[in-house]
This record gives sequence, structure tokens and C-alpha cells, in this order.
Amino acid sequence: MELGECTRNPGYQDVDGGGSAADTVNHEEPEERRDTTALKLDADAEYTQMKPYAGMPKELVLLHSSKARYRVPREIMFWLMVACTLVMVALTVTVIALSPQCLKWWQVSPVYQVYLRSFRDSDGDGVGDLKGIQEQLDHFQYLNIKSVWVSPFYHSPMRDSGYDVEDFRAIHPLFGTMQDFEELLAQMHNKGLKLIMDFIPNHTSDRHRWFNLSRTGDPHYKDYYVWTDCNGSAPRPNNWVSVFGKSAWTYDEVRGQCYLHQFLKEQPDLNFRNPHVRKEMTDIIRFWLEKGVDGFRMGAVKHLMEAAHLRDEPQVDPNKAPESVASEWDLHHDYTTSQLGLHDLLREWRAEMDVFSREPGRYRFMVSESYDYHEVDKTMMYYGTPLVKESDFPFNFHLLDLPQNTSGSWVKHLVQLWMANMPRGQWANWLVGNHDKPRIASSAGQTYIRVINMLLLTLPGTPTTYYGEEIGMENINVTDSQTQDPAGKYNASASRDPQRSPMQWSGDMNAGFNNKTNITWLPVHPNYTSINVEAQREDEGSVLAQYRFLSALRQSELALQRGWFCYVHADASVFSYLRELDGLNRAFLMVLNFGKESAVTDLSSVRELPDQLKVLKSTNQVNDGKALQKSGIPTEAGESLVIQYSTSTRFNPNHPEQCYVSEKACYLSAMDILYKC
Amino acid sequence: MDEGSIRRRKESQTGSTAHSLDCQTKDKQPVKATVLQKDIGLLSGICLIVGTMIGSGIFISPKAVLLYSGAVGPCLLIWAACGVLATLGALCYAELGTMITKSGGEYSYLTEAFGPLLAYLYSWTSIMVLKPSSFAIITLSFAEYAATPFYPGCTPPLVVTKCLSAAAIIVIVAVNCLSVKLASYLQNFLTVAKLFIILVIVVAGMVMLARGNTENLSNTFDGTSPSIGAIGLAFYNGLWAYDGWNQLNFITEELKNPSRNMPLAILIGIPLVSVSYVLVNVAYFTVMTTTEVLLSPAVAMTFGDRVLYPLSWIVPLFVVFSTFGSANGSCFTGSRLAYVAGREGHMIKILSYISLKRYTPSPALIFNGILTIFYIIPADINTLINYFSFAQWVFYGLTALALIVLRFTRKELHRPVKVPIVIPGLIVLVSCYLVLAPIIDKPELEYLYCTIFIFSGLLLYYPFVHRKVNWARKLMRPITMHLQLLMEVVPPEKTE
Repeated sequence: MELGECTRNPGYQDVDGGGSAADTVNHEEPEERRDTTALKLDADAEYTQMKPYAGMPKELVLLHSSKARYRVPREIMFWLMVACTLVMVALTVTVIALSPQCLKWWQVSPVYQVYLRSFRDSDGDGVGDLKGIQEQLDHFQYLNIKSVWVSPFYHSPMRDSGYDVEDFRAIHPLFGTMQDFEELLAQMHNKGLKLIMDFIPNHTSDRHRWFNLSRTGDPHYKDYYVWTDCNGSAPRPNNWVSVFGKSAWTYDEVRGQCYLHQFLKEQPDLNFRNPHVRKEMTDIIRFWLEKGVDGFRMGAVKHLMEAAHLRDEPQVDPNKAPESVASEWDLHHDYTTSQLGLHDLLREWRAEMDVFSREPGRYRFMVSESYDYHEVDKTMMYYGTPLVKESDFPFNFHLLDLPQNTSGSWVKHLVQLWMANMPRGQWANWLVGNHDKPRIASSAGQTYIRVINMLLLTLPGTPTTYYGEEIGMENINVTDSQTQDPAGKYNASASRDPQRSPMQWSGDMNAGFNNKTNITWLPVHPNYTSINVEAQREDEGSVLAQYRFLSALRQSELALQRGWFCYVHADASVFSYLRELDGLNRAFLMVLNFGKESAVTDLSSVRELPDQLKVLKSTNQVNDGKALQKSGIPTEAGESLVIQYSTSTRFNPNHPEQCYVSEKACYLSAMDILYKC
Repeated sequence: MDEGSIRRRKESQTGSTAHSLDCQTKDKQPVKATVLQKDIGLLSGICLIVGTMIGSGIFISPKAVLLYSGAVGPCLLIWAACGVLATLGALCYAELGTMITKSGGEYSYLTEAFGPLLAYLYSWTSIMVLKPSSFAIITLSFAEYAATPFYPGCTPPLVVTKCLSAAAIIVIVAVNCLSVKLASYLQNFLTVAKLFIILVIVVAGMVMLARGNTENLSNTFDGTSPSIGAIGLAFYNGLWAYDGWNQLNFITEELKNPSRNMPLAILIGIPLVSVSYVLVNVAYFTVMTTTEVLLSPAVAMTFGDRVLYPLSWIVPLFVVFSTFGSANGSCFTGSRLAYVAGREGHMIKILSYISLKRYTPSPALIFNGILTIFYIIPADINTLINYFSFAQWVFYGLTALALIVLRFTRKELHRPVKVPIVIPGLIVLVSCYLVLAPIIDKPELEYLYCTIFIFSGLLLYYPFVHRKVNWARKLMRPITMHLQLLMEVVPPEKTE
């Protein structure tokens, strides 16, 4: 192919003249003859009688190389080469121009929530620490998880397990040192893992330097918190209540005024109307971004601002005596949550993070936490607008309600709640547990552990896994004397300790959480001898093995990563949907039985599905690889199936109202690329 | 009719042509003998050295040295020391190159010192694997850097990088086939571009220093107790960044006044590269901590984003230029080896032919290009090639040894440059270390396969070169003839 390109030079010489190679050669030869002497002419005459041979000299080559049998192939090869180069460049440009945006790291992998106290204790004090995470990084890699969210490790008096921060720039000695943190971060980055930090902007600890300066009336700091005049004996400037119960106001004797605290009284709310506070918080964000943190989970953001007028909030039950209003649920929080200016704050922080995202491969991620319950539109505000970015996503807490009514249509309703309200082009996310909510394995029941994991990992968007969910850990029973959670001390039924028990790594002492001493800050669940990472790694049919399989599948299959999501069926037991990508014949049908009984699902009305289906993965290992008819897909209660099928017709063009897609792209199999469509 | 009689006739004819020219009018261009022309001056020589040595490594991942040396201070020292070592190595090559004024680098020196067999094995390994694969890697990284800005956060699709690198290979080979001058102008331009971006980074770094960003550069020896092994590994990786010091030796015959220009180009080029490397590293440390340097996927880009923000796009752009320049230099010199080996009969003869109109060794260039295109096809050649890297150092060591041997066996040769004999001795020791270190560090079966591959060249050597079997020559003759006519190439004329 290439042979002609370089040697067929006359074309180049004559580009402007437009002459052909033959012209040039013919043109040159007589000229050369003129230059030569009679002797040369003799020699040339001799050459004309010679046949070409290997290693022939210049004259002989010139004599024969202009013959059509050499010239034409030479020309053809040359132009083919030129054309080939142009085609390749054009192809490259076209592919680049058509390429859709690629998925960011937080879209590709599940987020794993590490509750630091309970994850792994490296020093034997009974409390998990940063070094402990570092020891267990293999676990994330084993599960193909890239994003790890670590609960707060700031210096703190630990009144609210670290959510009361005394110094935003220091690390609590219980968890390690700044050096431990830097090592952990470097190690994680080395392994391609991303670290998401907790950020708690709403309040500080009452031991924070700012609060001490504020209560003593330091002119610079006096407006750092929300202060108001009140009566020391009955400190209730208005009826606002704390999330943990009782009045949101506490009288401070030093300053002689009341300060606001939407959480514990040891957690005074910062005054974000003060530009100094805003600047301080932005500086803190920058401090951690400079350290290399990959993202923030913005905690309790809806509480960031309160109405300046401090009016009473309306009561849910107007007939209730105002004095007995003591719980979060007694009031409509019209003046303490989701106030004007809140989103501007988040956008400011987003902009700060975007500055750091410019560096190659260092996108900084923001997720916001806001429980808005049925007011879904308030949650969706955190996505920002097409013009102004905010969170990459707000946590989707709707699936936490899944245990209320385990049925296929209920799950569909919860999924639909998010999918139908999410702004176009945004990225969904799913979670079924966190450090504030009972473990799903306990609230929904063990039967549903696997089906719920499968749901999370096959829905469109980023799943968040609370530590232990990958092995099916359950709540522990905590006696009053063991209670650690301040909310639990106030009201035992509200205790969050049961879902915070130490991670079950193995069947050894303390479930491998602390293998140095025999103490753990909360008791280990007694089922740790059978439910632990080590045992489940050995067992191919375990919850962990299933999680690992699905996580890898999600990563490797474009249809699961960024394909269409279409509802196919929902009834009292079964919720069924499919994932497909335009241009890709391999698609996935999910059949999940959330009901209480076994069911046979008839999907024969879905024309796009082939009649014969083959189970790729079932929560019940014996059904893996089973062949099924689409007219009768049997599932036990709590069983779910991933069915991989091949078809040339897509479901979504004919059912646009049942389908959703974010980051839409189409696949071109001929070149193994994605393109905008 | 045998070749000899033709040559005689041709020689007489060339002489007569020359004679006739004297009688002709003065504006006539003299007919150049069909040999590779002496087109490379001092500047082009320097650009060839600098341009090939500085590829993308210093911009993308100057990490390994830092990783093993542990702190900023030792890291900078090792960069500088590697530069000194590379200069010493290159001086040995300068002595060899000015003593044996033949192109082909190590090949010619190994022939002279140890005989043809070793030289054959060298040319076999280099022509079939080392040269085309390094050309392939450089073009692949060129394509990757060119495409990456369009794919933030992920790797560009394979089809993009492969198409782009194939296109780059064809363009570079075409330029080199068209004209040696054009190729060296291109090389000069791209080298200037690459020095420009280095200057930008260094100046920006100096500004940062002046503004007091010195925290990463103070106490630079704190917390270091690197073991001998770690220092060795740091050296090993640092020296790779200086690989390419021998570029000029591959084109000795094309250098103008080689006995002056070769040592001069080496003495200017390599210290220039060393100074650039050290200063660029200092610049990085003004805005990045050691951890950040280690973790950045592309250090110069991170630097650019922090320091040059609104103009940060110039860094990736010039890194692309820089890689393209490296590729061009690599192709330029790589093909000369095939050309010389073909001339000596260690490769098929046609590789030593040159274009009769363009005076370029186009068969060798195209052969190198085709092999390179094959090398970009497999998914991941980097790992394969890493195993071959030890072979590179085997040959460097042998070349330094050749210098010592020649001091005794060929005392009579004129040596315009003469280095103290300790220097080649040192290079031999360093090479031994660099060959053995990675193998001892991670002994793997692949090294054995590579060795087997190298020696498998003998299977071809015995019948085709040593015995010169008849049927092979009969087979090659018509092929050579048709290719000659197709490509308009001829054997180089003797010009003595």
C-alpha cells in the first residue's frame, strides 16, 4: 500500500503545473541527455538494450520505471495512501465530534458509604479509624467500587458522632492524624478510588472557637451564629423546634441571649447571612479540595438558612397547645428549611469546586442531603438548572420507604416518584439505607436483601451502598446502657445505633472489626459468624458474590450504565423493567419479585422481547442460566432475575412514556463507539 | 552481466558527468550522486537529539523518579545525575561516531568490535522490535494526547487513537520519504515548539518562586532515607527520560562535518535537556506537593491549570507538538538502521536502496512504517515492549564495551574525540545494573521469551546471511527488481 507514496515524486514537483508523472519523466530525460557527453549517450544506448535486474543502477531504473505497468500502480498506491490518511483523519474528527459526553467517575461506580466509627479499627480502641479504611481498600476493589463516602472525621467533642465540628481543619485523634488522612487519600488515589467527605455547613460544635468568640461578643464574630434576645427563664423566642426534639433555642448565660440550634443544643446554627461566615466556609471547602478530596456530601443543607423574621411556624395540628409543640413533626417548617438564598450558597460552593475540577481527571463531586419527604420538587431544586450547576445529585431517599409495603407496584411508585420529577438530562441515584435509617435487611426483612441490592445496581443512576448492605448486615439490638447515639438517649426508639454496628469482616474475634483488643464501641451483630465478608467471598451464591457480579456487570454493560430504562410490568408482587441502548442488540430484562408470594409473570404482550429468555443471574443461584418462556416467568418471593436477551428491535421508540434516559447515547457496533443521537 | 561491470561503467560515467559539468554553464545544478546527502547541520543535529529525547514523559509522568527517591531534593539530584550520566554515555558515542563514520549507530560499532554476528542480532532486534515499537508507542501517545481534551474524564475510544496514530505514521513516513531536509526542518520546528513550552513552564515556575511559593522546595531532604535499591530504581526510570542520546550516531553519514558537529551537538543538546528537566521539575514543585505530582494523571496539565489558567490549553497543545516531534525524530533515525543493515547484507538488500529523485532511504522508511502500523494494532503493546527494554540496555552496554575493545584492537584509527577510558567502563557497569535490576526486581518469564526472540534471529542468519542459500537469492531477485522499478530506488553509489 505504502510503496508508491514516497517514490512517486514527480506528482509533487508538478503540483502547480498540474502535469502528470509521465510528463515530468519524459521532460527530464531529454534534458539529462543534453547534459551528457557522447560517452554518456553511448552508455545510455547500452542501457536501452539491457533488461532490468535486481540492484540495477539509476539509468536503467529510469528507463523502465516510467512504463505504465510500474507508473500506474505507483500512482494508484500513492493516491490510495493520501486518501487513506485523509479518511482516517476525517474518521477521527467525525468520531470526536459525535462522541457523547463520557460518564464521570461518580456515575460509573456505586458510592459506598463508610460509617467510619464502625468500618474497621486499626489501633484496638474499639472505634474505627482512617488507617482501618486504608487496610480494607481491597474490599472496594473487590466489589468494583470507585467512590467512597466517609462519614465525618473532623475534630469534634462527639456529641452527635462527629456531626458537631469543633475544628473543620483538624482530624479527631480517635480517627487518626492529618498524616493518616493524607496517606489514606494518596493510597486511594493510587488505587483509582475517590474519596467523598462529609461536610456539615449548617452548624458547628458549641466548643468551636467561633462560638466562644461569638458568645463573648467579639465584634468580628458576634454575628457568626443566630442570636436573639430572649428571656433566660423561658427561652422561647418563637415556636421553632429542633430536629432532635424540644425548642430550637437555648439561652446562653455568657452572652445573655438565645442562640438557634436546629439540631442538638451543642450544635449552634451558623448565620449564613453573615458574609464572613460564608467566606470561612468557602475557605474550608478550598482547604480540603487543595488536599485533594474528590467530593463532598453536603449534610443537612435544607437547614442552612432560616427566615430572618423569626416568626412562629404553622402547627400541623392547629388545635394542639402551643406549649406542647416539641417534635419536628408538629410544625410545618416554612421558616427554618429551604429558605431563600440556600441554593445561592450551594452554587457558590459548586463554583469553588469547579475551579478545582478543571485539572485533568479531577472532577470534584457534590451530593446534597435533604429530606423533603413528599415535596419532591424541593429536592429536585438541588440539581440546579441547565445554566447554573449545583449538586451532581441530591440523595434520593424515597426507596427508604420501601419496607412500608413490599409489592412490585409500590416499588415502581417509589422509582417513578424520582424518575418523573427529575429534571431532564440529570442523573438519578438510589439508596436504601444510611447511618440515620434502620438497615433495610431488618426493616424489609431478610427475604428481600438480594432483590433490593439487585434493584439498586440495575436501576439507571448511581446506587449508594451503606456499609454492610453488600453482605446483608442487619440491625443490632442495643440495650439502654450500650446506647451511644444522643438521639437514642433522648428517645430509645429513635436511636440510630442499631444500624451502626461494626462491619462484619470475618468470623474471628469482633467479626474482624478489631482484632487487637476485645472492645467495640457498639456490640457486633451475633450473626457475624455466618454473615461476614470472608465467608461470603468463598461462597459463590452469597449476597456479596451477587453484589460483586452485578457491580461488574453494571460497569461493563453500556445498557446498564447509560442505557434506556423502561417500565415493563408492575403488579402486587413483581416489578419488571428493561435496560437497553439504541444500536446495541444486547439488552437486559429485570424481573424482581418484591411480593410475599411466588408469582408467574406473563410478558407476552411485550412484543419487543424474544419468546425464549435465558436467566443470566438469579438471586437464587440454582436458576442461573435457566431458559424461560416470556409468557410465564416464575419468581419466588424475594427472587429477582437478570435476563440478558438479544433483539434488533428496541422497546423505547414505541413506548416513550414508559422510558427514561439520562446522558443519552447510541452505540455503533461497527466501530465500538458511542455517538450522540 | 555481473554487477561489477555495471558499477565500473557507471563510475566511469559519473566521472565523465562531472567532467562535462565543468564545461557546462554555471547555472546548471550539479547532478548529485545518488547517496544520502549531508543535509544535517549542527542546529538540526541538536534538534534531533533534543527533539527525540524530550517526548511526553516530562510533561505527563515525571513521577517514577520522585516515587523512588522519596523527596524533592533527591529527586532533583537524580534528574541532574541522570543528565550527567547520559552526557557521559553520549560522549562515548561521540568517540565511536567520529572514529567510525558510518550511519547505523551501535550496529556499525558492534560490527567493528565484535564482528557481524552480534551486530546482526542487534539489527534484528532493533529493526524488528525496538525501533518500530518505540515509534508506535510515541505515535499512540501523540494520538492519545491529541484526543484526550475532547474526552474529559475518560479515555478516548480505540478507533480514535488508532486512526490518528496511523495517520500520523503515514504523514511522518511520507515527509521523511519526500526529503531529508523537509524532515529535519519539521524536526527543528517541533523542537523549538517543545522548548518554548518548557520555557513557559520554567518561567511560570520562576514567577511562582519569586512570589514565595517555596514551601515544597524547602527542607527538600526531609523524611528521606531511600535505600540503595530505591535510588537504583529512580536512576533506572530517570535514564529512560534521557533515552535517545545516540540519535545522531544513526545518521553519521548525513552529518555535515561529523567530527566537529557530532560532539558539539551532543555537548549542547544533552545538557540542555538535563537543565530543562531539572527546571521543569522545580517549576512543578512550586505549585504541587510531592503527593500531587505523584497522583496527577498529567502533571504539566495540572500545572497549567493552576498557573496559566486562562491560557492553560497551550500546555496540552504543545505536548501534542512535542510528541509529534519525537515521533518524527524516532522515524528519521530508526529507518537509518534498516538502511545500513540492508547495505551490509544483514537485511534484504532493497532496504539499503535510496530514492533516485529524493535522495531518501524510502524502502527502509516504508518498511519501518509498515512494521510500526502493525505494532499499533494490538490493544496494549506497552506491556510487551516493557519487557524488551532490557535489550536496549544490553546493547548500550555492549557498545560501551566495544569502545574499550577498539582501544586495544584498533589503536591506529583516528579518534577526533577521545574520552577517558573510565567513562565507557562506568557505562558498562551502569548498563549491567539496568539490565539486571528490573529482572531481579520482578523476574518474569517474559524476559526469557524476549531473549529467545533475540536469538531466534540466528535461525534466519545462518541460511540467508552466512550460507547465502541460492534459492533465497533467486526468489528475492525479481522482487527486488520490480520494487526498484515501482519505487524508483537504486543502490547508493560509492562516492569516495
